[in-house]
Amino acid sequence: MSLSFDPVAFNLAEGLKHWGTVMLVVAIVAFFTALVTSLLASGLAGPWQLFVHLGGGFQDLAGTSLRRCLALSQLTFREALRRKTLWVFAVFAVLFLFAGWFLSDVTADADLQVKNYVSFVLRTISWLILPVALLLSCWGLPEDIKARSLHTVVTKPVRRHEIVIGRVLGFAAIGGLVLGIMSAVGYVWINRQLPESMRSQLTARVPVYGDIRFVDNEGQDKDAQGNILIEGINTGDENMFRSFVEGNTKSRAIWEFSNVDPARLEGGGRLVLESSFQAFRTYKGNIEKQLLCQFTLVNSTKKLKVPLKAFEVREFRRNVYDVAAENPSLQDTDGKTVELAELLAGGKLQVETACLSSAQFLGMARPDLFVRLPDRPFAVGYFKSIANIGLMMLMVVVLGVMSGCFLKGPVATMLTLFIVIVGRMAHGFLDTLVTGKVQYHNPHVQFQGAGPIDALYRILTHMTPGVALEDKPLFRVINWLDNQALTVLWAIRSMFPDFTAYDTTEYTANAFDVPWAEAMLPNLAMAAGYCLPWIIVGYFSLRLRELESK
Amino acid sequence: MANDVVIQTRNLTKIYRDFWGRKKVRALNSLSLDVTKGEVFGLLGPNGSGKTTTLKLLLGLLFPTEGEVTILGKSASDVTKNERIGYLPEESYLYRFLNAEETLDFYGRLFNMPANVRRERSKKLIERVGLTHARRRQLKEYSKGMTRRIGLAQALINEPDLILLDEPTSGLDPIGSRDMKDMIVKLKEEGKTVVMCSHLLADVQDVCDRIAILDGGELKVFGRVQDLLKDQGVTQIKTSKLPDAALKEVEAVLARHGAKVLEIDHPTTNLEDLFIKTVRESAARPGQRYAPAGPGNKPAA
Repeated sequence: MSLSFDPVAFNLAEGLKHWGTVMLVVAIVAFFTALVTSLLASGLAGPWQLFVHLGGGFQDLAGTSLRRCLALSQLTFREALRRKTLWVFAVFAVLFLFAGWFLSDVTADADLQVKNYVSFVLRTISWLILPVALLLSCWGLPEDIKARSLHTVVTKPVRRHEIVIGRVLGFAAIGGLVLGIMSAVGYVWINRQLPESMRSQLTARVPVYGDIRFVDNEGQDKDAQGNILIEGINTGDENMFRSFVEGNTKSRAIWEFSNVDPARLEGGGRLVLESSFQAFRTYKGNIEKQLLCQFTLVNSTKKLKVPLKAFEVREFRRNVYDVAAENPSLQDTDGKTVELAELLAGGKLQVETACLSSAQFLGMARPDLFVRLPDRPFAVGYFKSIANIGLMMLMVVVLGVMSGCFLKGPVATMLTLFIVIVGRMAHGFLDTLVTGKVQYHNPHVQFQGAGPIDALYRILTHMTPGVALEDKPLFRVINWLDNQALTVLWAIRSMFPDFTAYDTTEYTANAFDVPWAEAMLPNLAMAAGYCLPWIIVGYFSLRLRELESK
Repeated sequence: MANDVVIQTRNLTKIYRDFWGRKKVRALNSLSLDVTKGEVFGLLGPNGSGKTTTLKLLLGLLFPTEGEVTILGKSASDVTKNERIGYLPEESYLYRFLNAEETLDFYGRLFNMPANVRRERSKKLIERVGLTHARRRQLKEYSKGMTRRIGLAQALINEPDLILLDEPTSGLDPIGSRDMKDMIVKLKEEGKTVVMCSHLLADVQDVCDRIAILDGGELKVFGRVQDLLKDQGVTQIKTSKLPDAALKEVEAVLARHGAKVLEIDHPTTNLEDLFIKTVRESAARPGQRYAPAGPGNKPAA
């Protein structure tokens, strides 16, 4: 089984640049908003007070005490225990006691069975831990303020950010404890629930992905405009993830791998290619007979081209192709013997993939073919997925604590829930609105619609969306206004983290390791990128808040 | 500000506003007062007079609408001032799931104290407030009096120079109230400055050196308790019990000097003293009880 999405390596430098830009814009907007508000509220003394508070922020930061933070986190931890947080285990236990009845399917393939169990465990943990983290963090501070227990804390030399950090650490610790126990139980449960014969399927495959491009039936790798073909043939899907190559033509999908280190290969030098392609048949033919596929290894620098032995594509299955086992000797198109090391010189490799069955099509997307490195233990992938759930829980905790700094419990819960729901369910939609990339894997497909003013104009004038607006002053103004609307949308979208990224179940359930560059690093960066400003917002909200205000 | 002035307020005003920023109530109006080092200062006034608002402004829990507050030479919003302040709130808003030792340890950690100092001070303070027997019980099991005591202990964990007590004797029985007042006097003897607000006038009279009386958010009276209570038009002479003849002679002497005798009587003790005496005697002699005089009833020995 391959992934249903395209794992793309995260560019940390680009991410930091983007984050820095957003932070700068937000900081400038927040500063000027605060300046105007302070002027309106307190006259000329207002801006002075604003600068005093900003200066106080740096002073407070300098006076941070780890002991105070830990004392507050320990208090939070005890408070959470007192609130019967551990009752969540009861729900967890009930689910796990009876899940086996509904999930076990002796007729299913081993990999599907593993997928069901792993998905169930990871999703259950995720759905149980998040509400607990959300409710605890949203109600903690408001309840403390309501009960006035916080008064005995803030009248000590406690900086307000220490309260925020202490709360976050405390809730994260209790959440971490619950998560740790649940994940350990879940791991044991998966192992015990699976029959002995299926346990070999519990693994963490390590793929090396390449970039994909296509060659058309004519053998051309560029379109009429000179753009590289990044899509093959569309067989009629409106929402196309895989595109197709036609059998027995010049049509090819070409994967370019740039980081295949021979030393990291299976058995110290065995090239293993794993694929899972989709077949599209234009005639029924012999349904028992699978479509034929052929790989050709290419090193363009050394001008080497080694066609490999063709194989039958097993649909909806993992097709593992051990190059050395299938091809005792590698020979290029001239019949010259080639060493694998020569092909992999500089870690670069091209794999051309062709369909050999006439008038049939093979569908491929970037993650459908990868170089498989030696597997890691299942526990590695499993606990990386757990770590991602932990990161998401941490973000929910920080968000909840931040909301609790300026809102009452119920309102803080609503706000946090809203951000989590949008972040989990509507982030793709927001991305589509802002980036214009309707098909996220295809950078050349641009947003075909228009902005709100443009759309309004077209509705009123009965103008079709396909017609471009002329270059007139009115339309330039409309275009400018629409661009501003897009900027506002971009800012709004930046406020909602993409929580779907933290669901790495698909990797683990499909027996993949959770990759560092594609999943762990971006998720860590996103958590840090959102948590830091949320803590700052929480700190200033608490600092500027009259705790005794009537 | 003179070196011995611990608290200084100038034109301190607090107006509570509603959500829309409209004035709701003027809780404090142009309060200007000084509290000096080593004194016990009382803030008096009826409910809603602005006593607690003043304390909260001093502590930075509220922000002044106008005016200035300086406390231990620092602004009320400066968190570092809290290192030398102890605060006992009106209700003991402590964490009820902690026990006495954990409570003091927690607050000690907020003052960044090392563990050995926290242990030593917690032990000493628990003894001082008389909670040794209940040091491992959760605060939710404490009586009101015990809660006030642990509240005072947490206010003293940092050995503060300035102690702010909001209604320190409220809800306490007479013995608890006396103990609390004794502790306040002892704190004064140790050189600490104590500011207490209360509407129990007798308590304030017993322990305070100076008072300020607030009403409707305004300062009405300010000065030394003795000076404010002294009636300059009356002279009081206390002696041991005099025979009737001697009383007559005294009256004659007073009449000769043109003084009018307003009252000659045996002084009475107050109810608090009587109550404490009774309870202490009861503890010393268990089984002794009151029985009304009558046939067959003899007071217990």
